[in-house]
Amino acid sequence: MTNASQIREITPAELLSELEAGKELFILDLRNGDEFAQWKVEGIHGPVETVNIPYFDFLEDEDANIARLPQNREITLICAKGGASEYVAQVLESRGYSARNVKGGMQEWAVLYGAKTVVDAGRFSLLQFNRVAKGCLSYLVASGTEALVVDPGRHVDRYVAAAEAKGLRITGVIDTHVHADHISGGHELAAKLGVPYYIADGDMKGSPLPYTELKDGDQVKVGDTTVKVLALETPGHTPGSASLLVNDGYLLSGDTVFVESVGRPDLGGKAKDWAYDLFETLFAKLEGVKDDVLILPAHYSSSKEVRADGLVAERLGNIRAENEAFHVGDKEQFVDYILNDLPVQPATYDTMRLVNRGEVQADEEKAFELEIGANKCAAKHHGH
Amino acid sequence: MSEFATAITVDARGLACPLPIVRLKKAVDGLTSGEVAELVATDKGAAADVPAWARTAGHDLVESRNEDGIFRFYIRKR
Repeated sequence: MTNASQIREITPAELLSELEAGKELFILDLRNGDEFAQWKVEGIHGPVETVNIPYFDFLEDEDANIARLPQNREITLICAKGGASEYVAQVLESRGYSARNVKGGMQEWAVLYGAKTVVDAGRFSLLQFNRVAKGCLSYLVASGTEALVVDPGRHVDRYVAAAEAKGLRITGVIDTHVHADHISGGHELAAKLGVPYYIADGDMKGSPLPYTELKDGDQVKVGDTTVKVLALETPGHTPGSASLLVNDGYLLSGDTVFVESVGRPDLGGKAKDWAYDLFETLFAKLEGVKDDVLILPAHYSSSKEVRADGLVAERLGNIRAENEAFHVGDKEQFVDYILNDLPVQPATYDTMRLVNRGEVQADEEKAFELEIGANKCAAKHHGH
Repeated sequence: MSEFATAITVDARGLACPLPIVRLKKAVDGLTSGEVAELVATDKGAAADVPAWARTAGHDLVESRNEDGIFRFYIRKR
């Protein structure tokens, strides 16, 4: 049996780099079927070949399960925390297979945030963070020496570090809406830095957390006036959803518009009302936004929504031309289309909203458990 | 207190995945049909996997308990 110290390891960050580079991997996921169904390592540019064999199944019938694996390719093993995958990697190596272990397992993959530059124009720059396990996107909007963070995840150190690395001072934090699929780091980050936490009243009213109300037409300044964050009230996904038009060229659309879908309006129990709102938002509110504006959403659910450069972004004009939701027809047909076939709402979403409104507390362990699973924020979910 | 005699106890407290199930399997493999093995574990992940392992392996999970974070499982060998 190969010595444990000889099993090759790959960190989640390195794994992400390989997927971003389009490397063709073979993944053996050793978690049980339920966990695998909730979330797994997804390819960035397309599906990644994956076999799910719970490690205890592997133990029960090593021969039969090994026969399912390729002998001429490197096998990348992952489990919940990295222990079982290391063990099975040793077994594979001892039987002549090429195996390497994802260090820290899904637990580490789950909190990995990739970061990519959307634009870097000297004084103005925009960075997209991607929490790949969940498909959650957040942003650092910088001008001069100042920056705003938009829709941060709860691992606020990622944003602090990114700002520091670029010599920026975070002067404000914005949540485009009260999120249901992840725990926002918005309040925590703002409180930690002593800066305002901006969010619209619609979702946050009555919350015990302090916030600065974001209203339609507000301009949040950052750095010199080259960056104007114009808040457009864009209800539909939630009543308080806001989209942020940055420098007239980038629309941080929250969960209103995605690259391939639109936000689901049923997460508040008023699906039909909010679906009508969503129609107004997409066809009236956003009508004045030019085709050339780049849509930068808060979520994605498929590698089909990722551009060749690895960013989740699309010209509004292309979205208008290709996104199904924009072609359904009149208001009534749109509402039917949206409400038909909505994905199941995960059980944790109600609780997460309460956490984000500051009405329920969650320690690290509870937070991790609540956040298990890829996001289900879109009205239509496409496979990879 | 268990109502049945356990032929062997696997103390996997403090051990992380996959050791609890690796050791449990080894213990059960060494029993004769009908005998019961007890697993004591603290690892939550392993605890969640024990019922699924028992199903796959065809053994009976006759009882499982969570005593304030200490998980006890009683597996009867098929």
